[in-house]
Amino acid sequence: MAVFKRGYERYDGPLTGAVTRFLAVPRFVWPRLLAERFVLVLLLVSLFWPLLCAIFIYLSNHANLLPNLNEGGDAIQKLLRIDGRFFATFMNIQSTFAIILAAVAGPGLIAPDLANNALPLYFSRPVSLASYIGARLVVLFGLLSLVTLLPGLFVFGLQASLAGSSWLAGHWTLGQGMLLGFLLYILLLSLVALACSAYVKWRVVAGALVLGFFFVLAGAAQIVNQVFRVEWGSLLSPGYTIYTIWCALLGVETAADAPDAGECLAAVLVLLGALLAVLLRKLRPVEVVS
Amino acid sequence: MNQIWIIARLEIRRAFFSRRALWVYLLALFPAALFLGRGVSVNYDRREYAAKPVTPATLLDRLPTGTTDKDALAAAGPPIRDRQWRRGKVEHRSLHYFDGYNRVWLQFENGALQSTRRVPLHSFAQDSRIYAGVFQYFYLRLAVFFGCLGIFLNLFRGEMIDKSLHYWFLAPVRREILVLGKYCAGLIAAAVIFGGGALLSFGALLSYQTTADIETYLRTEALAHGFWYVLAAVLGCAGYGSVFLAAGLVLRNPIIPALVMLLWESINGFLPELLQKLSVLHYLQSLCPVPAPLDPSAPPLARMILSPAAPASAWTALPGLLVVTALVLYLATRTARRLEINYGAE
Amino acid sequence: MSHDLILFDGVSKFYGEVLGVNKVDLQIPPGITSLVGPNGSGKTTLMNLMAGLIHPGSGSVYVRGISPFAPEKLMRILGYATQYDAAPRGITGLDFVRAGLLLHGFPPAEAARRAEAAIATVSLTHAAQRKIAAYSKGMRQRIRLAQAIAHDPAVLVLDEPLNGLDPLVRAETIALFRNYAARGHHVILSSHVLQEVDVFSDQVILIANGRIVAEGAIRSVRDEIHEHPSQFLLQCRQPARVAALLFEQAEILEARIDPAGSGLRVLTRQRAAFADAIQRIALSGVAIDGLLPVDENVDALYEYLIGGGK
Repeated sequence: MAVFKRGYERYDGPLTGAVTRFLAVPRFVWPRLLAERFVLVLLLVSLFWPLLCAIFIYLSNHANLLPNLNEGGDAIQKLLRIDGRFFATFMNIQSTFAIILAAVAGPGLIAPDLANNALPLYFSRPVSLASYIGARLVVLFGLLSLVTLLPGLFVFGLQASLAGSSWLAGHWTLGQGMLLGFLLYILLLSLVALACSAYVKWRVVAGALVLGFFFVLAGAAQIVNQVFRVEWGSLLSPGYTIYTIWCALLGVETAADAPDAGECLAAVLVLLGALLAVLLRKLRPVEVVS
Repeated sequence: MNQIWIIARLEIRRAFFSRRALWVYLLALFPAALFLGRGVSVNYDRREYAAKPVTPATLLDRLPTGTTDKDALAAAGPPIRDRQWRRGKVEHRSLHYFDGYNRVWLQFENGALQSTRRVPLHSFAQDSRIYAGVFQYFYLRLAVFFGCLGIFLNLFRGEMIDKSLHYWFLAPVRREILVLGKYCAGLIAAAVIFGGGALLSFGALLSYQTTADIETYLRTEALAHGFWYVLAAVLGCAGYGSVFLAAGLVLRNPIIPALVMLLWESINGFLPELLQKLSVLHYLQSLCPVPAPLDPSAPPLARMILSPAAPASAWTALPGLLVVTALVLYLATRTARRLEINYGAE
Repeated sequence: MSHDLILFDGVSKFYGEVLGVNKVDLQIPPGITSLVGPNGSGKTTLMNLMAGLIHPGSGSVYVRGISPFAPEKLMRILGYATQYDAAPRGITGLDFVRAGLLLHGFPPAEAARRAEAAIATVSLTHAAQRKIAAYSKGMRQRIRLAQAIAHDPAVLVLDEPLNGLDPLVRAETIALFRNYAARGHHVILSSHVLQEVDVFSDQVILIANGRIVAEGAIRSVRDEIHEHPSQFLLQCRQPARVAALLFEQAEILEARIDPAGSGLRVLTRQRAAFADAIQRIALSGVAIDGLLPVDENVDALYEYLIGGGK
């Protein structure tokens, strides 16, 4: 049948409420992303480390089951201790998976809209800039939570349940620190992914840019430190700054002469501001004709 | 050959002057900018420290760990700078001295000397090692890698995204020639940008050294070092370029293989010897004239990733890399013969 | 192997599980040949197979004796203006055409001369130095045509070449096709509007759902479906009355009041008798505003030929 003979009719069904309308985006994007083989494999692989940590927590709480453990002395006891350093290491490794996931999932959220000049279409409908960005942040928040927050809370919950209420009473700040730390990280990562996606229209390059943002900046920070014999260069590395903030939230000491958590937090806030500025600058409902 | 050159000429302007290439220049020139900045900083320090009081090194060396800050002050005299801060429960204090050659920091925690840190005001040997580290850890592993990713992916995958690849396919050119022509364009652009970047940063490193150091270096190893650094950068472009060109031909989203390659290159140091030979970085590091220093205080994971593979000799590294490149290019040309225009999938 | 035909021998092409074309056998002689079919019928797939932009899953294609797997030979005799609207970034019209000629091996001066001539042929000289990105749709269409004809190919393949052209340029372009065909060249073009091409095509190939449903001169294609009735839209203000009169005066099979309110849709096998009846009705004082054949468009033809439609 010829296309023009197909009957198209105006939609007469119920409309989503204005406040929750932005949730339509995650509702469609999540299933699509989870249907991608690479994303699925990545999610599965990212659960390997939490699983190892869970086994470790079980062992550390059942040390008496291990023969000859007490003969190992303080070193073994120290190794099996579940403290802030344990959670900082856990978060650090999980964060790598989150970067890869953001590089795969993030660029497809804005770049195609820009490449196809779809923004005027979006913004000529009842969609505000805030809800446009918010919807995409929710997509990334949900996805990144699967490899950061959820496994983190699972590991913390497991330790709390095995170690008992006395441990929880003394260490609840670790859970709080992990929660806040991951929330800040997810926000940073999501904004990086969205800003890259908005900055380059080409989805593939946007993905490379997300990876490059973390890896190249980490390298650049190191060489600034080396060439100038300073420590402040580390502030250029988002990975380092966020890790320092996590350490502060978890009560873990970091190198004395390196930038402290306050300086790192300031650097992260500046970065968040810059990323938001890029997003607002790029997401304008205009069609660019060269 | 003529057709290869025509294709390369048509492509090369795009590779050099497109807006997309801007960040490639940033990556390539970043080390040069840093070493130029270092030159400014060294010259400033030389002037500054010329007027600073000198505390004999022997006097500072005599202070054992655990010495109180008061005793240290009494022994070494007033410092150039006295910095105190608190982190957690620990009161930190740093006393800064100059022994005529090194800047020295006495680091105290809760009033007791913990460590003494010495940084020469200026040392060519140290700068040379740092340059080697910057070149191998940043320039080859990250800048050349990501730069080539951008340049060579653009050659085919970029045209597919722009829906303009069919214009090349409608020319009376064998697909193999087209691949080689585009590769040459990418290679010339990348080699000029990154080879030039390596040369500039090497020049920037030499620009602030003392006359005596420069003269000695020029008489001995300078030319050879400069040559091998530039050659390693150019060969890095050739190797990575072939891989990314092939990835752009075969895969719709080459970022995933790029990620895998970044991982492969990173873990190359502890792969079996045979597999090490399938890495671009393995050959490149073998060509570098100065071994890169590895910070012993770096975390184990970082040390594992940064540790170089067992080096091959320069004369096996060179043909080895060219063979890997030729092999990948051959596979790319085979793929190009069957390549179809299907923009709908982009 | 014939060296003046374009041959498709049992050619099938699937995009994954989606059918492109299926078991196509064609012999296309020189002259103007139009591929006609609705969107997604396989016209572009046939053209892309001809030019080697895609390869057949089975069967073989030869263009004047050359396989599309040898682009270095084929593209010397073939020029293809695709439907893809994009052009290489930041390039002017003149550079675009000249670059193609340089790849053909023309020396720079000769390439420049030919590029200018081709651009003049499509009446775009005034915009030759402007970037293609700033061209209108019709201008982009013309610059692609200029690149396709610049090396004077023996086979000109044009995907919907008349889209977006104004009447004057359209007439010039059609004259260009005729001129090409008169020199013994192939001109293969596609369209989804039959009336657009039937006035100048030497032969037409009707394609639907990836299959060739008819081929030959336009009139012979029409004759192939002579057993099917013709449909007309009779524009009038009293459709019920006109219908009653028509049933009295002519052999009509069906008369339906047009749901869009523009008149009466009539189905008849007797075109001449129907025309006479209309004339009589009009002369009797019943207002007839117009008479339009509605089955000359390719979609109606498809409905007859492949049994599609509602």
